[in-house]
Amino acid sequence: MLIPGMLGKRYNINYLSRIPMVAAGKGDLTEPVDHPKSTEPIDAEVIARAQRGDAEAFRLLYEKHKRRVYSLCLRMTANTAEAEDLAQEAFLQLYRKIGTFRGESAFSTWLHRLSVNVVLMHLRKKSLPVVSLEETTQSGEDESAKRDFGADDVALAGSVDRLQLQRAVDSLPPGYRMIFVLHDVEGYEHNEIAKIAGCSVGNSKSQLHKARMKLRDLLKMNRAEKAGKSRAG
Amino acid sequence: MTCVELQESLAEVEDGTTPEQRAHLRTCPACSALVNDLNVIVAAAGGLQEADEPSPRVWNSIEIALRREGLIRPQRTTGSLAHTLFTGWTGRWLVSAAAMLLVAAGVLIHDRMQTNTVSERTAFSTPIPNPSDLNDNDLMQEIAVNAPTMRAAYEANLQQVNESIRDAQAMVNESPNDEDARRSLLDAYHQKSLLFELAMDRSLP
Repeated sequence: MLIPGMLGKRYNINYLSRIPMVAAGKGDLTEPVDHPKSTEPIDAEVIARAQRGDAEAFRLLYEKHKRRVYSLCLRMTANTAEAEDLAQEAFLQLYRKIGTFRGESAFSTWLHRLSVNVVLMHLRKKSLPVVSLEETTQSGEDESAKRDFGADDVALAGSVDRLQLQRAVDSLPPGYRMIFVLHDVEGYEHNEIAKIAGCSVGNSKSQLHKARMKLRDLLKMNRAEKAGKSRAG
Repeated sequence: MTCVELQESLAEVEDGTTPEQRAHLRTCPACSALVNDLNVIVAAAGGLQEADEPSPRVWNSIEIALRREGLIRPQRTTGSLAHTLFTGWTGRWLVSAAAMLLVAAGVLIHDRMQTNTVSERTAFSTPIPNPSDLNDNDLMQEIAVNAPTMRAAYEANLQQVNESIRDAQAMVNESPNDEDARRSLLDAYHQKSLLFELAMDRSLP
């Protein structure tokens, strides 16, 4: 167990302080805004204590939100190490800015927007397409989705195992994955996603639909493989 | 409406509730199964929202960065003074002393970085305390008492930082005038002192 970005990197202990701050601009949604899913109140006293630099309050805020922030980072990147670094960066940005939080919107909304922004900036720096039309039109995803029709359907039988879905989401192309996570996992609306990802609402809807179709393909393939193995066994 | 048209329309109206969609779904089991499957996927997606737990090292790193940046400020409570004085005072004293020693070692290196020249190659051979012996055991005992859940993380980090110090020291010995090597050594000592500082803070009442 190493402290990522610090003890894990020899002769580079200033790595943490050199993590570039997210620049304001397109997709910078760190300003508090309302979000329908983020209605959970947080103890104002804990926030006030954190604003005074109370270590325990920082830890309490982390404990309360760590799973959601980390899960978001992990779903979006499909990489544990990257997700941990991004979750760390998201919380650090939160703590750096917490003095400016005045409670006009839900704290969790603020944090999750900030986290999404951190991940998006990371993906952009990696030159990964946040949303790419080409990804869908050139890679034959449409064909993949359409040829499913009329095929021997193994229905998902009313339920999907969480781990299977997790694996399937991880194997989606980055553009699909992002839209699916933002919409179906995190509950953002298409107009919000369009703003975050810098695409049109129509593009967001189209990508989401194709992401779901691709997931269905993956899950069915997985089921078929399992069924084949159990028959062979 | 054909199957392909239905599929395309699902991007706009996801649940298949327009009259045209409904009419098609009533007569097409394949499309009906498709819509059901998509609904199943959407329903399961919510379960991924808090599905994963980050490893303890994430908080560990955050805490260290917060201290480094001065965002955490000491919040001393008005607990029992006697308890503070007589509970584990020896360990705390040792840990504090070790941290000071580490800082002193760092300062020593830093001073030498300022003054050392090629002609003074041997000056850097002044023995620096072996990091492995620098009250690491006391540190771990302190952690075991005050933050047992963090013991493994501290142990791993301590081992790593000691390796960093050893490597950096070897580089300095090999190239005494290498600025980067000396800076690495200084940084490594600083890193270790941060760990000790963290341990001390955990032991506060």
